[in-house]
Amino acid sequence: MTNTMTVFRREFASYFNSPIAYIFIIAFLVLNSGLFMTGFFLNASADLRSFFGNLPFFLIFFIPAVSMRLWAEDKRTGTFELLMTLPMRAREVMMGKYLAAFAFYLVALAGTLPLPIMVTALGNPDVGAIWSGYIGAALLGGLYLAVGTFTSGLMRDQISAVILGIMACFLIFIVGVPGVAATIDGWIPGLGSFLQHFVGLSDHFEMMLRGVITLGDLAYFLGLTAVFLSLNTLWLKGRKY
Amino acid sequence: MIEVRGISKSFGTTVALDDVSFRLDRGEILGFLGPNGAGKSTTMKIITTFLAPDQGRITVDGIDVLEQPLDVRRRIGYLPENVPLYLDMNVQEYLTFVGQARGLSSGQLSKRLDWCVEACGLVTEFKKNIGELSKGYRQRTGLAQALIHDPEILILDEPTSGLDPLQILGIRDLIKSLAGEKTIIFSTHILQEVTPVTDRVVIINEGRIIADGNVGDLSRDAMGTNRIFVGLRQDTASVESALRGLDEVTEVRPLPAAEGCRFEVRGSFDTDLVGAVGRLARDRNWDLTQLNEAVYSLEDTFISLTRRARDRSRGNLRGVA
Repeated sequence: MTNTMTVFRREFASYFNSPIAYIFIIAFLVLNSGLFMTGFFLNASADLRSFFGNLPFFLIFFIPAVSMRLWAEDKRTGTFELLMTLPMRAREVMMGKYLAAFAFYLVALAGTLPLPIMVTALGNPDVGAIWSGYIGAALLGGLYLAVGTFTSGLMRDQISAVILGIMACFLIFIVGVPGVAATIDGWIPGLGSFLQHFVGLSDHFEMMLRGVITLGDLAYFLGLTAVFLSLNTLWLKGRKY
Repeated sequence: MIEVRGISKSFGTTVALDDVSFRLDRGEILGFLGPNGAGKSTTMKIITTFLAPDQGRITVDGIDVLEQPLDVRRRIGYLPENVPLYLDMNVQEYLTFVGQARGLSSGQLSKRLDWCVEACGLVTEFKKNIGELSKGYRQRTGLAQALIHDPEILILDEPTSGLDPLQILGIRDLIKSLAGEKTIIFSTHILQEVTPVTDRVVIINEGRIIADGNVGDLSRDAMGTNRIFVGLRQDTASVESALRGLDEVTEVRPLPAAEGCRFEVRGSFDTDLVGAVGRLARDRNWDLTQLNEAVYSLEDTFISLTRRARDRSRGNLRGVA
């Protein structure tokens, strides 16, 4: 735990040691809020559904950009060798990095808090749905980050890491889209629906937008996140360089 | 302290290490020599648990590297060839991070920070961003990182590469000052750096150990015969025949001389060639300008040993064909 915290502190600070962090956050807020506000005046309904609804697609691009440096940067500069020869377990180092990226994402997400405040001031939104929407957004980001952290480890440079990350997150997103699932079912009966429910995220995220948090949806997000984090640890242990 | 037994490692089809073995006792300093790409770094990466060997076994302080890597890592301070620095941190933050990752308490850490910064000459750079430091200071920061937890074992991969002569001297003095209390392996392809620091060397070439021992023995081995140089002010034909007349001498070769004459005299290592020639000179009243043993530099030793190893492996190949 101490080791995880040591790595966490370094990684989290390093996000803010460069201007990239601020550019990320500003881009995240401007794009997200901008997209939301355009629809907001048109729909004239006091809820955040369209804001949260955009996230699964939007984060496909944002999250891998946050996680791309986690391992790729260390491999490029040689600090990977330092990390792997310090008396820390692979899992501890990995968790420190992952949690730092997650905390950074939460900071960006916290920047959208003026939106619910505004919506509450203007109308009478379903507060429960906003809460569960934020929980869903955190879980969604956590899942994409686990994928992005893993792909960052497979690559030596950040550009490849971000592209691979985007593709992997996109895959998780697209197999959950009902039309896609139906098409896959057409090729191999059963596979499409299997992927849609167990890998695809739309089903699970949609429920949270409505203000419903079920154990099954929680298990989906946390489970799939754990799978990618475990893959990352296995990769670290099995590396032959 | 460190025992390497029969390790082999391949990357794809490239054989990086082939049955490498050597051992190192507590407090010894080992110069690990070899041309670029010989396998020095790979060996060090395996000892420090960064890479796993395909075959073979390494124990550090009796602990198996593969079985208890964390215990091995705790005992080792490691400076990789690519100095692993976080360019966005300053020296203090970086060393603090490594110290914490190594489990130092804040009391120990501040004591060790003071010591490392002093010993590595980083006092003036302590608050500077690592990205702004010169190559020399980056190297020193890397070295300070390896020393932060006061390890029993230091593994330094090319610690002086890219440094100017004065900086090299500084690092050399630092390594010497740690002699006795720490077990040290340092690699280099610059041979002059070894002899001032240690006598014990291991020479590796194309993934195989070709020599292991102290510098003196290895150079004798490489030279083959004992050689001395004799110079005289007078130039008489009798000199050469008188030298040949000595029992100890097996061969006399005239050498070009600006004045008088010079010879290279060879004999066996068991005999005192200089003494014998000295007595002869006194008897005959020769006016000597030179009388000394040929010193085979580490360079010559290295070249002749690598050449011999190469010839041997070619010979083997021919034998197989």
